Amino acid sequence: MAQAQGLVHFSPLDWMWTVLFIVLMTLCGVVFYRLGKKSESDFFLAGRGLPWWLPAASVYATHTATDTPMWIGGMIYKWGLRGIWYPFFAAWTAISAFVSSRIFRRSLAMSQAEWQGLRYSGLGAELLRGWLAGWQTFMNMFVVAWVSAAMGKICAYLFGWPPWFGVTFFTSISAIYVLAAGYWGVIMADFQQGIIAFVVITLVSVWGIGEAGGPAGIAAKLEVLGESWRLNPFHFDGFWGLDVDHFYAMDFITLLVMATIGGIGMGNFIDWYPEAQRIQSARTVRDASYSIWAGGMATIFRNSFWAVAILAFYVMFPGIGAEREYEMGWFRLGFEYLPAGFLGMFFAGIIAIHLSTISTHLNLGALYATRDLYHHYVNPEASEATLVRVGRWNTLFLLAGSFLLGLFMQSITSWLIFALWLQAAGIWVPSILQVIWWRFNSWGYLSSWIANLVMSWLVVWVLPELGLLPELPNWASFWLLAALVSLVYLPVTFLTASDDRAHLVKYYVMARPLGFWGPIRREAIRLGLITPSGDLRLEAGR
Amino acid sequence: MSLFKRDWTAIEAEEWTRHDVWASALSAASFFLTAIGVAGSLLMQTWGFVALGLAIVCVWVMFRIIDPKLRAISTDFEAKEAAYIEQLDRATRWEAGDER
Repeated sequence: MAQAQGLVHFSPLDWMWTVLFIVLMTLCGVVFYRLGKKSESDFFLAGRGLPWWLPAASVYATHTATDTPMWIGGMIYKWGLRGIWYPFFAAWTAISAFVSSRIFRRSLAMSQAEWQGLRYSGLGAELLRGWLAGWQTFMNMFVVAWVSAAMGKICAYLFGWPPWFGVTFFTSISAIYVLAAGYWGVIMADFQQGIIAFVVITLVSVWGIGEAGGPAGIAAKLEVLGESWRLNPFHFDGFWGLDVDHFYAMDFITLLVMATIGGIGMGNFIDWYPEAQRIQSARTVRDASYSIWAGGMATIFRNSFWAVAILAFYVMFPGIGAEREYEMGWFRLGFEYLPAGFLGMFFAGIIAIHLSTISTHLNLGALYATRDLYHHYVNPEASEATLVRVGRWNTLFLLAGSFLLGLFMQSITSWLIFALWLQAAGIWVPSILQVIWWRFNSWGYLSSWIANLVMSWLVVWVLPELGLLPELPNWASFWLLAALVSLVYLPVTFLTASDDRAHLVKYYVMARPLGFWGPIRREAIRLGLITPSGDLRLEAGR
Repeated sequence: MSLFKRDWTAIEAEEWTRHDVWASALSAASFFLTAIGVAGSLLMQTWGFVALGLAIVCVWVMFRIIDPKLRAISTDFEAKEAAYIEQLDRATRWEAGDER
């Protein structure tokens, strides 16, 4: 490995920090091996008995990945402090904590795909469960790939290592404790990694701000550059417009609406799926709510630290044109300005950030492949020991697939905007409708997914490439996709039958969703399952 | 029904009430204020400290409103959970229909 070509040189002490941390993480797999292999529920949900702060730390750790400072850094460097509204989508947890998280926790579904089978009925429900399970298996492999690609890029940047090494080495370490202890390993490692990541992010960001001359220095240098507007999170280039190089108030409003109202739904965001696992692993409904809330709040905190650190980076290195260069800003602050002896700790923090995300998505992808595909469709009579064994094989399958994908990915920011935002546009409303409206059926939701996949590629990539549609700003793409996809799922919903009433009543009594469930609620009352005041009369298991 | 009601029965807590609406609104507001509050405070801007202070107030009021209700829901649901999980596993193994 051509270390001399890299940015930094580690002393033996730095390497000692790094190796110690890796040993600590892999020990998690050994310590919790016995708990993880007890059952499918233990391997994927830690036995559904965690206090709120453990899944909360995991929510935070999982969503602090090696690619996250790159894409947030990219947004802030490009847009100034107003770029903070892009990662604000994490605020969906604010409302979700008290709405969709509560409903999902009461459903007891192990995965979102399983929830589809509880909410809907018949062939449509099975197709939807199979579709979501397959999609999530692939999507988690994809997430592992792009996060690994980011790690490969960082290692190449720092040490001059070939990208394939950075992509595969650290991800393989994560796989050791995920294979051994499943979700127990994930959650316990995440707790440590979350704390380490929080400390390192705070330390490096504050250090970087100091290097730029502190808050006063940043403000003064921006004034000299004639760019004081970068300090204003509400600096918009007009209310709305179609220029992709402008940040409009409509961008802000769209992001705000999407993030907050989206919390009512389930599955609107790519982040929902790992969060659903954490919600279900919490020991009570209350623990589930607080875990999601606290994890989301910590993420918002973190975003702001990064944002100001990137402003500091900007005043030190203004005018970088290439996205690939400026999205490395936060890493440069750490590696170029931290004093000797801190580099190993910083790198251990980066490994923590990386492992926490990788481990979650390896285990989550294996959950969908095992619970929703293998257990439900292939071998319904499988024993707990078989299910844990299959879970481990699926983890290995995801790992191998992610290596192949990871070696093809180059630009992190563009991929993430597409995956996190635009690809969610068409299913954003249907994901809310399935929670709040009894008449919305499985065919409507399934059609919205398929239509969204097709249209998002058309609107964002294909039609602009062919010159048939101008390149649109993100806010316009979002609403256009939302409108186009509604032209598919609304007719499909009304032209197909509603789900089986008895099935809907059963779901309503168990999960108690909010919104437009009047006919189902009345039916539940008529059957004596609940009283008008809401008394739950259904005997469990009846 | 008081907004700061503390003694929820299981029957009352099952219903969606204005407490849920207030908690959700205050929660969203606290996230918004935290985002700009932390950034503004790190930049030593007055508006940052004000926003952060308001965020803390929002969180405190939200907790006072929703925590008693969440406790009541959790206690009630825990009693039924084991049997519900058994029912769910039977559905995964294709053993349970929609019979009631």
